[in-house]
Amino acid sequence: MILLNMIRTEQCFSHLITCTMKHVVKILSILVTISAIWVGLLQTSIVPRSHTWLLPIYFVVSLGCYGLLMVGVGLMQFPTCPQEALLLQQDIMEAKEFLKQKGVDVSSD
Amino acid sequence: MELADRAVGFLLSFISLSIFTYYTFWVIILPFVDSDHFIHQYFLPQEYAILIPVFAGVTLLFFLCIFVGMVMFKSNKKKP
Repeated sequence: MILLNMIRTEQCFSHLITCTMKHVVKILSILVTISAIWVGLLQTSIVPRSHTWLLPIYFVVSLGCYGLLMVGVGLMQFPTCPQEALLLQQDIMEAKEFLKQKGVDVSSD
Repeated sequence: MELADRAVGFLLSFISLSIFTYYTFWVIILPFVDSDHFIHQYFLPQEYAILIPVFAGVTLLFFLCIFVGMVMFKSNKKKP
């Protein structure tokens, strides 16, 4: 049983590693492509040099904008469940009553 | 509380979208517009397109370092 569990954990772990590896490979390939295009633009100088030099900063700025946008969207659509919160508060009150009856001190603070 | 969070989220997304649009116009589209076009008076010269992000990034890093340092200092003080 323990061996089976260990094997399962191992499988999970290796799956996680391959997942992150895939992600890393994806990000790296995107970076390499972008830098290849950039170097090509620099070498061929289709666009004036001073504008080609701006492109990496443009990518950094757009990455920052994307991060900020994702944080904003996440804040806007933050899932809340007020009914469940009410039920949880009721449960807590009930449990406190029960424990007080049994003589357990559960005063918070 | 929830409404305030939502408003902050909306503000953040609005700010990021407007910065992205303005910067895209500034860096990508403006070089292909004639230099005596009236639209050029709404944008700073091209050098500032590098200077402002670099300055903002350095400032951000500076405040981040100060914040991390303060947190570490506080936690060190509390231990003994």
